[in-house]
Amino acid sequence: MKIKAIKFGHAALFLLFTVSFLFYGAPAHSKNEFKLKLGAKGQTCLKCHETFNETLKNRFVHPLLKKGECIGCHVPHTSSHKSLLKADKAKLCYNCHKEVLPENVLSSHEVVVEGNCNSCHDSHGSNNKFILLKSGNELCFDCHKDKSADFRNVRFKHKSLENGKGCLNCHDPHSSAKSSSLLESRAPSLCLKCHQTNKESFAKKHMNYPVTTADCTSCHNPHGSNNRGLIFDVAHAAVTEGKCTECHQKPISLETKKKTTQLCRECHQDMVDKTFNKNRVHWPLLDKVGCVNCHDPHATKEKKLLKGSIVKVCGRCHGDTVQLQEWSIKSAKDERICEPVKKGNCIACHSPHAADNVLLIREQDVNFALCGRCHEWETHSTHPIGEKFIDIRAKNLSLTCLSCHRACGTGNNPAMLTFTTTHELCIQCHVERIK
Amino acid sequence: MSGLLVALLFYQLPLSEGAMKLRYVTTIYADDKGLGLKQPEGVACGGESLLIVADSGNGRLLRYSIKEGAIEVGTLVIKVDQLSYPIKTEINSGGEIYILDGKERSIVRLSPAGEFRGYLQPMGLPSPTAYIPRSFTVDRNDNIYILDILSERVLVIDPGGKYVRQIKFPREYGFFSDVTVDFRGTVLIVDVVDGKVFSGGKNSTSFSPLTSSLKEYVRFPTSLTTDDRGRIYLVDRNGGSIIILGQDGSFLSRQSGMGWKEGSLNYPAQMCINNKGEIFVADTMNSRIQIFDLVE
Repeated sequence: MKIKAIKFGHAALFLLFTVSFLFYGAPAHSKNEFKLKLGAKGQTCLKCHETFNETLKNRFVHPLLKKGECIGCHVPHTSSHKSLLKADKAKLCYNCHKEVLPENVLSSHEVVVEGNCNSCHDSHGSNNKFILLKSGNELCFDCHKDKSADFRNVRFKHKSLENGKGCLNCHDPHSSAKSSSLLESRAPSLCLKCHQTNKESFAKKHMNYPVTTADCTSCHNPHGSNNRGLIFDVAHAAVTEGKCTECHQKPISLETKKKTTQLCRECHQDMVDKTFNKNRVHWPLLDKVGCVNCHDPHATKEKKLLKGSIVKVCGRCHGDTVQLQEWSIKSAKDERICEPVKKGNCIACHSPHAADNVLLIREQDVNFALCGRCHEWETHSTHPIGEKFIDIRAKNLSLTCLSCHRACGTGNNPAMLTFTTTHELCIQCHVERIK
Repeated sequence: MSGLLVALLFYQLPLSEGAMKLRYVTTIYADDKGLGLKQPEGVACGGESLLIVADSGNGRLLRYSIKEGAIEVGTLVIKVDQLSYPIKTEINSGGEIYILDGKERSIVRLSPAGEFRGYLQPMGLPSPTAYIPRSFTVDRNDNIYILDILSERVLVIDPGGKYVRQIKFPREYGFFSDVTVDFRGTVLIVDVVDGKVFSGGKNSTSFSPLTSSLKEYVRFPTSLTTDDRGRIYLVDRNGGSIIILGQDGSFLSRQSGMGWKEGSLNYPAQMCINNKGEIFVADTMNSRIQIFDLVE
C-alpha cells in the first residue's frame, strides 16, 4: 500500500513537472496571455480587419495566420513597433526563421541582412510559393535591373535562367556559405551540375585546354550575351579567334608562356614601352599580377576588358578616394559636381598606366590642359589664376583650380570647394576679411 | 619591488605617448640660389645636420645642413645624368646617398659629394632573380632592404651588395608601398590598400601582422619610418597626416592635416627623423619640405 502511494506520488510529481514545463516552454501566445475568449484567436481580429478574410483565400498563407494566431506577430493593444508588431520589423521574422541567415556565410542578400523580408515576401499570404510577392525571375528583376537587361536584351540567353527555378537554379535568395554572389557553389562546380565536360564537343570548343578546373565566368557571362557560347560581350581578340596559344602553352596546362606584363608586351609592345618610359608608372603594373590587376585577359562586360566599371576597378585599391566620390554624389549640396566625379570616370584626369606627373595626373598644367578640357577658361570666376599669381599659403605654388577645388570630390561641400563655405575658403588668403 | 617599477614604467609610457604632438618648426622652399622646390617626394636624414631632398619635379637632389632648426646656406645641388626622377632617398652611415629612380625603377648610388657611383645591383640573388624595387631602406649597419613587388619579398643586401636573405610577403595583402627597419633590426612594411603594418624579426624569413587595419585613422599610408624609440610613423598621403604608432603597433596619435598653410600637408610622401629627433616631411603637392619636432 505504501509502495503504491509512493508510486502515485512520483507519477503525480512527474505529471506536474511535465505540465508546468510545457506551459513554461510554450510560446507566449499559447498561454493565452491576452485572456482571449475561448476559440477567439484570429476570429476576433478578423471582425475588424476584414481584408484578411481575402488574404486567407490565397494559395499560400502564413501558417500563423492560417491558424488564426495573429498574436504570433502582433500585440493586440499597444506596441512600440509599427503595425502593433511584437518586435522590430527587421528582427521579428528571425525569431522563427533563423535558418535564412546562418553564421559564417560567404555572401548574404542585403535585404535579408537588413531584415526587409517584406521586399520579397508578403508576410500574410499570396498566390506565389513561399508567399512571395511575385513569381519566378520577375521578383528578382524588380531590383536587379542590370541583370534583367543582361538577360532580356541579348541574343543568347542562359537556358537555366528560363527553366525551372530561374535565378534560383544558381543563386540562394538568402545567403550562401559556399560562394560570393549568393551562388550555391563556386564555378566551375556550380556549372558542372548541368554542363557535361566529358563530351568531345566540350573539349573542341575549349581548344582541348583543361578548363574543367578554371573559373567559367572568366569568359562566359552566366546570364546571357550577344556572343555565341555566352562569351562576354567584350572579348580579347585572341579568345574570339580561338588563338589560345598566343598566350598559353600547348593545351596540356593553362600555364602562360610568359609572366605578368611581359606576356602582354608580346602584342601590346608600343603601349607597354610608352608606359614604361614615363616618370611614374602605376605600381601594380609592375607587380606579380601586372596588367591582370585591372584587366581580364579573356572577356568581360566592360570596355578595354576592364574587370569592372572604372570606379569599381580603381576603388579596389583607392577605396578612400572612391568613398569621397560616392559621398559627393549621394549628399551633394548642389549639382555642380565635375562630370568625371559624377560618372566615376577617374581616368578623365588620371592616367591609369603611367604619367610624368605625381598622382598620375594626366597634365602638368592643371588649369588649362586638364580642367580646361571640360571647363571653359575663366567663365565661372574673376579670381586671378595662373603662373603669375602666387598662392600665399605655400609660396612655391601658383594659383590653380586646385587651390580652391578638390578634384576627386569633397563630400558635400558646394561646387567641390575644399571648405564647407565660400567665406571659409576666401579667408584662407584674404585675411583682412576676418579683421 | 623592481617588478612594480617596471610595471609602472610600462604603464606610464602610453600615457606620455598619448600626448605627443608634432610642432611646426620651419619650411624649406628653395635651394640657396632661390630656385623653388617642385613636388619633392623624398627626404633622407643623416646624423644631426645632414638632409638630402629628392626634388622630384626638378629631377635633382639637394643637400642641406640643418643646425638648430635653421638651414645653413651653401646648399649642394646634385644633378647626375643617370638619375632622371628621384622619388625616394636614403643615406648610409658613411654619407653615401641612395636614390630610387621612378622612371628607371632602379636604385642609384652616389658619393657623399653627389658623384655617381653606380646602380645597386645585388649579387647572388636566389631564384627568381628578377625584382622591381617599389621602395627601399638602409639600416644602421648599412644593409639595404629592397621592397620587391615583382617577386613579393623584401631582399636584404649587405653594404657590399651581396644577398643576405629574403623575407617573403604574407599570403594575404593589398599592396605594399614602403619598408623600414627599426633600431632593433625589425623589418616593417606597410600595406597601403588594407592600411596594415607587418613586421619581420631581425633574422626572420616571413612577415606577420603587427596591426589590424588602421583605416579608422589613415586613408592611404604610402610611407613609414621609425624613431630611436621604435615608434612607427605612417605618412598618410591622401589624408595629409602623420600617424604615430607605438612599437607594438598601437595607435598613439594623428598629427597635421590636409592643407596649404605651414604646418599642414598636401599629399606628403617620404619623411625622416634625424638624431636630434627633428622630423622632415616631403610635402609633395605643396612643393616644400616641412620640419617639425615632437613635443611630448
